[in-house]
Amino acid sequence: MAGVVATEVQKSRVLVDAELCKGCDLCVVVCPQGNLSLSSSRNRSGYHPAVFSFHGVKGDCTACGLCYWVCPDFAITEVSRWKA
Amino acid sequence: MTAAREFLRGNEALAYGALKTGLNAFFGYPITPSSEIPETLANEFGNPRYPGFKVFLQAASELEAINMVIGAASTGAKAMAATSGPGFSLKQEGISYAAAMELPMLIVDVNRGGPGLGNLGPEQTDYFQATKGGGHGGYRNIVLAPSSVPDMAAFPALAFSLAFQYRNPVLILADAFLGQLKEDLMFPEVPAQEFDTSWATTGARGPERHILSSMHLDLPELSRHSEHLRSKFEEIDRREQRSEKYQTDDADVILVAFGICARLSQRAVVMLREKGIRAGLLRPITISPFPRGELAALVQRGVKNFLVVELNTGQMLEDVRLATGGRARLASVQRVGGLLPSPLDIVRQVEAMPR
Amino acid sequence: MIGVEGHYEVKLGQLPTLTGKPTHYCAGCEHGTLTRLIAYALQELGARERTVLVDSVGCSVLAHEYLNTDAVQAPHGRAPAVMTGIKRMRPDLLVFAVQGDGDAVSIGLSELIYAANRGEPITCFLVNNGIYGMTGGQMAPTTPAGMITTTTPHGRDITLTGPPIDASKLLATLEGPAYVKRVLLPVTPTPSADFYNARGSMEGARSVQNAFRVQEMGGFAFVEFVSTCSVNWKMSILQSKHYAAEVLAKIFPPGLYKDKFGVEKR
Repeated sequence: MAGVVATEVQKSRVLVDAELCKGCDLCVVVCPQGNLSLSSSRNRSGYHPAVFSFHGVKGDCTACGLCYWVCPDFAITEVSRWKA
Repeated sequence: MTAAREFLRGNEALAYGALKTGLNAFFGYPITPSSEIPETLANEFGNPRYPGFKVFLQAASELEAINMVIGAASTGAKAMAATSGPGFSLKQEGISYAAAMELPMLIVDVNRGGPGLGNLGPEQTDYFQATKGGGHGGYRNIVLAPSSVPDMAAFPALAFSLAFQYRNPVLILADAFLGQLKEDLMFPEVPAQEFDTSWATTGARGPERHILSSMHLDLPELSRHSEHLRSKFEEIDRREQRSEKYQTDDADVILVAFGICARLSQRAVVMLREKGIRAGLLRPITISPFPRGELAALVQRGVKNFLVVELNTGQMLEDVRLATGGRARLASVQRVGGLLPSPLDIVRQVEAMPR
Repeated sequence: MIGVEGHYEVKLGQLPTLTGKPTHYCAGCEHGTLTRLIAYALQELGARERTVLVDSVGCSVLAHEYLNTDAVQAPHGRAPAVMTGIKRMRPDLLVFAVQGDGDAVSIGLSELIYAANRGEPITCFLVNNGIYGMTGGQMAPTTPAGMITTTTPHGRDITLTGPPIDASKLLATLEGPAYVKRVLLPVTPTPSADFYNARGSMEGARSVQNAFRVQEMGGFAFVEFVSTCSVNWKMSILQSKHYAAEVLAKIFPPGLYKDKFGVEKR
């Protein structure tokens, strides 16, 4: 059997609305696992929006939700967990 | 409803008039010579005869009171406040907001001596403040001017009717004399009226929200809103000018007066007629919109002489001057400080006019 | 090909109590955070269709653009009086306002004190950032001594202006209020330079929910959120969080100042 690919399941997911984000950095600094960082590109308003990566600087995202609670711009629109 | 003759003070009659027309909320602060209004309402609060009277609250200031009225009016309720000079000034910010938000409400000013602390005598010096605006920005109040205790009893019903029909604050400008005067009266039967209050705040209904706001940051949007207020007032001006004529049909001198001055002027007309002088009285019932139409008609008919009798230094005189368009001679009897002209003073002034 | 079956289950998601409009608030401002906390609480209570927001004057003036509820605007400082009028006529509605420190503690202090004293069953949120934000950075009644503002260009001199006013302590001296709470809302520094603590938001979320609950139980609820204004304090966003934790929170200590119904014990 050729072409067997194991698909990694990312156990949690954070959705960021890049156009609402003002690049304030608060989600970046509260994330315990370092899953968020500011993009080098800019959104339509000129801000560097936050981007999510499941594998963070310190570990994988646990869907703790702190980014959601802290964001002043409703740009973190969803924090979810994978349910098999 | 049994119609009984009552003998009441002006302020009391006004309070009962408001109750009988279904007043829902009163917010006030004591100030002479209007305090009988909250006192009467406080006494009647809870009386099962007035089931609509749900809120009586003495506020911490006139400022707090007008803002409570704004809140209650936002829910579509019949809300009212009553005050005098200095308190009326405190309410101007609120009235400006209410006019911009298009909220119906009744505000009563029992005009005392001013400016500043003044005294407790009757004046009509709040005329400009009431009829020309008083608060900031471009808006107009509808202003009713009672001249008798029966008027004080009947005007709250008219006021709320106009307020809800046009979604505008309505003022009743009484004077200290009228507030304290006792006369006999019969309360008129008030037909129940239904008004559209779909604009009122009730909580959102699905995607629809009620937003009652006076802020329009976008310049063209504020322009549109202000033009809307202007055309609303033009409609009020066309349809709601009210006045009463007394012996004006053949008169060649017309007295123009409201409030207690109308009573004194009416007596003067009787005295003048006994002397063979054909005098008449035009009594504005609405001073805003000012009954320009009636005045213009009198000028058109050929009346050349008008005598304005008022308790200030010439405020309604300016409206009469505008309305008569320079085609008549104007004179005035003015008293301030709480002093009143006697009917004889008025007669003498008429006799002194060239005719 | 090995596929994995399943789906992402939303733990925290979109709120129908928000309009979704981008806010005018400066980046990193707690007004935005508080707006979200309020939207979440209203969603949890299922209260959207019986809520009336009373707009105040200040940075919160556009609140109805972001919160998807009925709204009535109040003149500057008068929100507690306007709320009183609404609630007395419609006790079934959930009525609240977000005020700034100028609106609540300066021009509107009398209205706030009297609504609290009467125990009006309404909810007042105060965003206290020690400065006037919307009008461009003038002194507020809560401005700390020595702070440079546009009307105190040499630093606030309390021998001339008096010291900052503590609204929570002031209201707590009255018998009338049922719930008086102060929360340090911004993220707070930790010993680690690149990691900040979000407990302010969590405490804020609980306090907002309690404040609505207290209203439903018939009491006056007041929550003061010590916040930041990085633009007018002329600091970076993160520097302003330090200032809030190290300076403002010492002048305005967070805590529970009154809890008549014991809602925090539940």
